[in-house]
Amino acid sequence: MSSGWRANSALDNSDAMNWVEITWTMMISASLMLGVVHLFVWRKQRSQYANLLFFVLAASAAAYGAYELARMQAETPADLAVNARWSHVPLAAFVISAVGFVRLYFDAGRLWLAWTVIGVRLAALALNFLTGVNVNFREVTALDHLQLWGGAVVSAPVGIPNPWAIVPQLSNLLLVVFIVDASVTLWRRGGDVARRRAALVGGSLALCIITAASIAALVVTGVVHAPTVLMPGFFVVTLAMGYELVWDLAAAAQLSAQLRASEQRFRAVVESVPAAILLVDDGGSITLANAQAEAVFGYPRAELLAQPLEMLIPERFRIAHSGLRSDYARDPRTRTMGAGRELFACRKGGGEIPVEVALSPLPVEDGLFVLVSVVDVTERRNAERATARQRDDFAHLSRVAMLGELSGSLAHELNQPLTAILSNAQAAQRFLAQSPPRVDKLAEILADIVKSDRRAEAVIQRLRSLLRKEESQRHPLDINEVVEESIRLMRSDLLSRQVEVRTDLADALPPVSGDRNQLQQVLLNFVINGCDAMDGQERDRRLLVQTRATANGNVEVCVVDGGGGIPAADLERIFEPFVTTKATGMGLGLAICRSIVDAHGGRLWATSNPDRGATLHCELPAMRD
Amino acid sequence: MREPTPTVYVVDDDPDVLKAIERLLESIGLQVAAFSSPHRFLESCDGNAPGCVVLDLALPGLNGLDVQRVLEQRGSALPIVFLTGRGDIAASVQAMKHGAADFLTKPVDDTALIAAIREALARNRVLRPAHMERERIAKCLATLTGRERQVLELIVAGRLNKEIAVELGATEKTIKFHRGNLMRKMGVRVVADLVKLAERAGVGATPRT
Repeated sequence: MSSGWRANSALDNSDAMNWVEITWTMMISASLMLGVVHLFVWRKQRSQYANLLFFVLAASAAAYGAYELARMQAETPADLAVNARWSHVPLAAFVISAVGFVRLYFDAGRLWLAWTVIGVRLAALALNFLTGVNVNFREVTALDHLQLWGGAVVSAPVGIPNPWAIVPQLSNLLLVVFIVDASVTLWRRGGDVARRRAALVGGSLALCIITAASIAALVVTGVVHAPTVLMPGFFVVTLAMGYELVWDLAAAAQLSAQLRASEQRFRAVVESVPAAILLVDDGGSITLANAQAEAVFGYPRAELLAQPLEMLIPERFRIAHSGLRSDYARDPRTRTMGAGRELFACRKGGGEIPVEVALSPLPVEDGLFVLVSVVDVTERRNAERATARQRDDFAHLSRVAMLGELSGSLAHELNQPLTAILSNAQAAQRFLAQSPPRVDKLAEILADIVKSDRRAEAVIQRLRSLLRKEESQRHPLDINEVVEESIRLMRSDLLSRQVEVRTDLADALPPVSGDRNQLQQVLLNFVINGCDAMDGQERDRRLLVQTRATANGNVEVCVVDGGGGIPAADLERIFEPFVTTKATGMGLGLAICRSIVDAHGGRLWATSNPDRGATLHCELPAMRD
Repeated sequence: MREPTPTVYVVDDDPDVLKAIERLLESIGLQVAAFSSPHRFLESCDGNAPGCVVLDLALPGLNGLDVQRVLEQRGSALPIVFLTGRGDIAASVQAMKHGAADFLTKPVDDTALIAAIREALARNRVLRPAHMERERIAKCLATLTGRERQVLELIVAGRLNKEIAVELGATEKTIKFHRGNLMRKMGVRVVADLVKLAERAGVGATPRT
């Protein structure tokens, strides 16, 4: 008999509640309250099963507490036995929910051990109803009435132990092992919160189970005459768990405040970005738009939200766009949209603006949102157009100047067919003047006159085209044709400068997309430069013009001269404006050539030849179908 | 002796122009040989045959002035009428200095061209006999030995055999022997003829140093 308990033969029948009743009632109602609170939490957040398990555990503790209080007030051994038998139901519920809670809340513990604990506990519950008066007693033979401090009297069982009592004890042992193991795992994982949780929940639970098991063992074996008092331990456990869960709620509240602040920051950022920002859900509806979006698209925010994104896309692209959108969902990466193509957006009222669009995937719980940032590039396009126009103007001016330089040569190109026409016509006159007139020659002569006339016409056309000031136009061009035409235009100049030109033109080159006049200007400039490099040189006045396909499938034109060469330091500088090695000339020719070739997506550079002279290279992107 | 028909050589690298000029010259009954390459022309022309050349100034590889120089070196008697696409004054001055017959600008009027050719042919007719004589003398001169050539030059300079012997460090007899040989080689019997020939061929025009 424990020192704390005193045998008393009579029940305390006073109407006033003794402290045991008060304490137990308080523990029961407190447990129930705590549990119900977390039941509400679970109702709000269905994914928080720990809260539901806690409710089951707290309710089980409360129910068990109620049984325990009634048991201590039992008047017959039979009453006590029945009470004890039924109290095993909330006990089992307590154990099972404790296992579930630890597993879920700690995210630790061995699963097989958890199932074993539950299995053994259910077996104990079954034995509880199948053997003896309950699983602990085969028979309760008598009641001890123990007098506590303050005059409270409680009943304690006296009886024959049930040998099956070993089964719930085994369950308890396994439960302790499971809890300790899970707590250690959580502890090892580190972090202040995890360690506190492992110590508080794991520790109190393990201690409670050990205490309960010990009390049960001592009472059943009759070593101690006392009621099996488990409720205080359960209550401590409930408090510990409740504390942790409340701590979580507090942390969640804090997090939500932070989240709100963060969202405010996000909104502030989105509003301050100088681009239109739209957040589009996986169904293609706009869920967020910033002030800039209102400005760019001309819609007030209210008319944008919950609308399909396609409303901002010009009608002719709409169908294609929804397909592209699902393509993006399959491979969501942060990238610019429509690489290399000009994109257009549709403003309120149907006006179109050129835009640049960047896409960023934003995976959320229920799908893939896409953050779309749109920049109105109307101004930039206008500036680009102005720059292009200026470049064309410069190119034209430089071309006119260059043709001035070549005027002698060009006059000669016209002179040749004119000479042929005049001589042919005068020969015909003379043939006709003979007697008899020789008309047999006429057909042949007239055919030749027509041919020469066509030739002169072609020269004039080419000249007129080169002199005309027009916007750059792209056509598929055979670069070899451009090379040959350029050399033909310069023929007389080359002869009078005594420069011999050889060509080495590759067959079957892919066409390039370009402006014939501008590319011819580049070629003429190259050839003139080569000739200038060899001025004042007695021998080797030779120029080689080559075309070839490059390794990456582009087309390259080289003009190789045999002149004095270019110092290594100047190989790049010669393409700068106002840099010239010649006594005459502004030094604009090659600079303008470079701007022309840049605008064609190509590049221009110079190299030194191994023996003598330099080579000017021009690489142009080939047209691909 | 009847003169063979003169040939007008036309050299122009532009086939259309070449054909038209050839046709024009044929229409007035001239015998024409047309060449689009200066090298081909130089291979096949005979500088002693009667005729003239209509030569384009701007030719690829070897221009008109180069062709004129080659003909001159060969001792051709063919007068040259130059055609040029542009009024290149420096080139025309050089061409005229080297004896060009005329220098015409394209497109060339038929009357101007025909007149120039006729004049060139006339000049060829006049110059050719003298030219051929010079050629013959040059050929004879080429057969002389070095010693004979020295003796010839001193005779033309008016020295006596004795003086020549002293100057060349030989006996008078040896000089007489050389003199006999060279007179025979040059095909003359009297010294007066020899001096006339030598003058025509330009021997002794430059005093020896």
